[in-house]
Amino acid sequence: MPLPRSAVVVGGNRTPFAKAGGAYAAASNLDLLTAALDGLVARFGLAGRELDEVAAGAVLKHTRDFNLTREAVLSSALAPTTPAVDLQQACGTGLEAVVYIANKIALGQAEVGIGGGVDSASDAPIAVSEGLRRALLAANRAKTLPRRLQALAGIRPSHLAPVAPQVVEPRTGLSMGEHQARTGAAWGISRAAQDELAAVSHHNLAAAWSSGFFDDLVTPYLGVARDTILRPDTSVEKLAALKPVFGDTMTAGNSTALTDGAAAVLLAEQGWAEANGLPALARVVDAQVAAVDHPGGDDLLLAPAHAVARLLARQGMALGDFELYELHEAFASTVLATLKAWESAEFCSTRLGLSTPLGPIDTDRLNITGSSLATGHPFAATGARIVATAAKLLHERGGGARGLVSVCAAGGQGVVAILEAV
Amino acid sequence: MDAEVELLPALPPPGPLLAKALVPSLDRGPTRVPTRTVLVTGVAQDRARLADYDRVCGFALRDRVPPTWLHVLTFGLHVHLLSGAGSTIRLAGAVHVTNRMRLHRPVDAGEILDVSVRVENLRPHKRGALLDMVGEVRVADELVWDGVSTYLAAGAKVPGTPEAVPREEFVPTPPIAIWRLPGNLGRDYRRVSEDPNPIHTSRIAARAVGFARPIAHGMWTHARLLAALDSRLPGAYVVEASFARPLLLPATVGAWWRPEPDGGWRAAVTTADGAKPYLVTRVS
Amino acid sequence: MPGLIERAFYSRGGQAVAGRLGLPEPPVLRRGRVLPGEPVVRASLAGSMLAADTLELLGVVATSPLLDDGAELPTYPERIGAVVVDACGLREIGQLEGLRAVLRPAVRALAGSGRVVLLADAEVEGVEANAVRQALDGINRTVGKELRRGATANLVYVRPGTAAADLASTFSFLLEGRSAFVDGQSWTVGPAPALLSAAPAAAPGSDSPPLAGHIVVVTGAARGIGAQIATVAARDGATVVGVDMPAAGEALAALANRLHGTALQLDITAADAGERIAAHVATRYGADARIHGIVHNAGITRDKLLANTDAQRWAQVLEVNLAAELRINPVLLDGRPGGLAEGGRIVGIASTSGIAGNRGQANYAASKAGVVGLVGAEAPELAGRGITVNAVAPGFIETDMTAKIPFVQREVFRRTNSLGQGGQPVDVAETIGYFLDPASAGVSGQVVRVCGQNLVGQ
Repeated sequence: MPLPRSAVVVGGNRTPFAKAGGAYAAASNLDLLTAALDGLVARFGLAGRELDEVAAGAVLKHTRDFNLTREAVLSSALAPTTPAVDLQQACGTGLEAVVYIANKIALGQAEVGIGGGVDSASDAPIAVSEGLRRALLAANRAKTLPRRLQALAGIRPSHLAPVAPQVVEPRTGLSMGEHQARTGAAWGISRAAQDELAAVSHHNLAAAWSSGFFDDLVTPYLGVARDTILRPDTSVEKLAALKPVFGDTMTAGNSTALTDGAAAVLLAEQGWAEANGLPALARVVDAQVAAVDHPGGDDLLLAPAHAVARLLARQGMALGDFELYELHEAFASTVLATLKAWESAEFCSTRLGLSTPLGPIDTDRLNITGSSLATGHPFAATGARIVATAAKLLHERGGGARGLVSVCAAGGQGVVAILEAV
Repeated sequence: MDAEVELLPALPPPGPLLAKALVPSLDRGPTRVPTRTVLVTGVAQDRARLADYDRVCGFALRDRVPPTWLHVLTFGLHVHLLSGAGSTIRLAGAVHVTNRMRLHRPVDAGEILDVSVRVENLRPHKRGALLDMVGEVRVADELVWDGVSTYLAAGAKVPGTPEAVPREEFVPTPPIAIWRLPGNLGRDYRRVSEDPNPIHTSRIAARAVGFARPIAHGMWTHARLLAALDSRLPGAYVVEASFARPLLLPATVGAWWRPEPDGGWRAAVTTADGAKPYLVTRVS
Repeated sequence: MPGLIERAFYSRGGQAVAGRLGLPEPPVLRRGRVLPGEPVVRASLAGSMLAADTLELLGVVATSPLLDDGAELPTYPERIGAVVVDACGLREIGQLEGLRAVLRPAVRALAGSGRVVLLADAEVEGVEANAVRQALDGINRTVGKELRRGATANLVYVRPGTAAADLASTFSFLLEGRSAFVDGQSWTVGPAPALLSAAPAAAPGSDSPPLAGHIVVVTGAARGIGAQIATVAARDGATVVGVDMPAAGEALAALANRLHGTALQLDITAADAGERIAAHVATRYGADARIHGIVHNAGITRDKLLANTDAQRWAQVLEVNLAAELRINPVLLDGRPGGLAEGGRIVGIASTSGIAGNRGQANYAASKAGVVGLVGAEAPELAGRGITVNAVAPGFIETDMTAKIPFVQREVFRRTNSLGQGGQPVDVAETIGYFLDPASAGVSGQVVRVCGQNLVGQ
């Protein structure tokens, strides 16, 4: 179904991504998102301008972050009358925020907006234990001192240990890495293939940095000018020396690190962008979200494989129709398993209901300026990072070039989208 | 100008000095203050402390630093100047009545600073004497910030006709914001400002000087109000503040700000009903 | 302003109470778009009305001068803010006496930050006339050195056909505080190119800021002098495109947002830097948008005695300070979208080090003298398109770059000029703003020193 109007990516901006506990250890989600917005505003001369909406989110949120995006807008150089919304779809947040703004633009509900995301693994909220929380709430409700004391007497020493947020699937009790280790084993993903993918990711990102590719995609923050997780000199040999942390093959080198950072994408209706003297890099063609039944035994991070099948069917496209593939590297193993699934006649037939497999892709077109293994992965920011990068790469390839963007997310979900160069 | 310059190797932590400064000067001679300038060069800013400061005062964490942060960097030198034998006035007993800062240009957290403070303009007041602590921050030789903190030293005797403190005008105004200031605010600000004056943290110390409860640091209130305006402020400006009355903690206070025709701002922290000011500020 | 560090330098041990300051406090200069507060006196030595017409165009009311005619020396009843002497038409040595007769009472009455402005013909015929022309320059330089309290003297040569409208921006600059640190200088103003006369710029004195609706690109804009140039251009109404190294992006973004401009993170030594500047302008401000002015401010120093200078230090400085500009200008001049407008402005940054040489700065001096050469060659080439090419040559300006100079040397540099102090970044920025002004169409091929009449060089 053709969309009524075209939403285009005007450009993007992000902070350099930094390893958790590093240069941004003191920065909150609000600080980071504000910095990403301010850099975007400066790049496109939007200071003092009122946009139709800013959509962004964070996965790890403090209660004080309840209206995070709106607060970031108020801290930024945008007009304070710019409305904002917080969205959250785990690691899909950044992409989902872009899709949300693009859809509003396509439907005529907005002309220009920003989609983005932020996460600070350094500044993650620490919760009190459930027992302590219940006791404190009871004490707060108690109307008399004896009852209050009685409520507080219910606190046990074990309740006092703080509870850090866990990247654990509530329904399986398994961490994402443990889930992926099962998936990788089931699909026969080798250690060597994972290390190879990780090394290529670092090398591609390093080359993109040296060529100035990120000059108009990243604005330094707090003295950091480049992604700090990036290891330009890493190699398959160095990666092979690391000890597994999940299963037998997944190491710290071929899994994403905990990361702090923020990213934002400026979107506008195509005519509006033109009338306002702004560039149009790529059109947001379509998007799809899908979920798998991981408590029922599905592979947690393979939901994008399902989403892509539906998206291609709706658009009447084949998997080979793209100049670029941007697959978020939660783990090297995730990307490799996804590629295998698309090539598998059995998976495509039984799980996706397709008579022929989606087929292989040209891996020379995959994550050509690096992805999350090298940049790091501030959960909610990743989608916006990928969209801005993909839009710029597609624009360089010329009008009509298409790209497929895919992000897997906790809860067995996946968000995918198609961009087309303007 | 014919002034001496004392070069210190590093910014002195005000804590130990202030303990000394709490002891009233036994010098019963005429009131006097040091004439020298005290200077520390090559001050690297501590980004972690700045982040903590920004958090406590409500600023967004960015590489551009608030002017009140630069004041905090000068504070140890204020105490240093007013705790030695050259001064019969002790900072701990003086009341900060007005503050005027000029940010000449945006200052980055990464910049290396030369920080200096001198005392100027000791003059009589009906309750004692007024004096100006003049701070300057330079990057290389470029003056990037200067600040004048006017203190009232009660009981000090300076000959001459008493001067009044010029106050920013205040008209009762319904507040735009209501802020709830917790009782531990003084402790938080003490950590980031290194101003250990116990009247901000201890009920006993506060009672000793006639306050029922600890009082908020004036420069916290000042910073909090600037933070509310943060994204609307230009790169260079003058901000003048009058500290109208002590703010006892914990408290619920009002705050308002409004643009001026010249592009500046008027703002105040008031009682929750907006009737009486704690702090009146003008940005131009 | 004498640095505290210099005062402390006289101390011993570095911790104890330090020495005393024996140097006089330099005057605080009048700065900004502020005319003298005191009366302006005007004299014409040979009947020319050009200065009179120009002052009238600017709305400056001028009074008649007192003359030292050999009787009792006349005394002005109050301080005067400026004396403007129109020496156009002056051809004989004997006529110089008229200048002395005007200046003697005037310089005695000149207020702090006052102005002596001389106006003379740029092109004269005959031996004596040329001698007189040059004699005026000698007088100007000397008066500059004799004036006190921040007052300055400058000499403007005018080419034949120069009208009051061509001269107005120069007079306005010289009389106002914008020229605070320009002293003892002379430069030449000519008639604006004919192609521009059809569409005159905003009339002098009109309320709309001179650069309203114009795009100005400033390289090295994130900090220091570059940030000041951008700020002054924005004050004058320009839409500013700030360019700086990607690593300076946070400060650059903050500046761009403050000035409601845009930020372009770019290494200007990149091969495609010119293309990327034009593309940025075309994609931000529309395909029809053109740059009104580009200020090539980005610069670096890598100081070493020539005896210790390796190829890398040599190349880096020449690359950033000179070669980048040489590569970028032709790209912006080839008519592409987002390039330089016809009637546009190119401004370079030279340096007194380039003019006079400076120990330890062979590479820097080469690059900055190169800028002077570039201005001289490119200005006539582009005159037909109404594009002006000029440069400022800063002397000792208080920045973090000059801070690297050792104490004693720095104090010497700072003091060895007629104003007894270092200049501020804004002084450089204001002079650039004067070049950028659409009303300065008749100012091209000039290198104006912003040095407080530093003792070095020409």
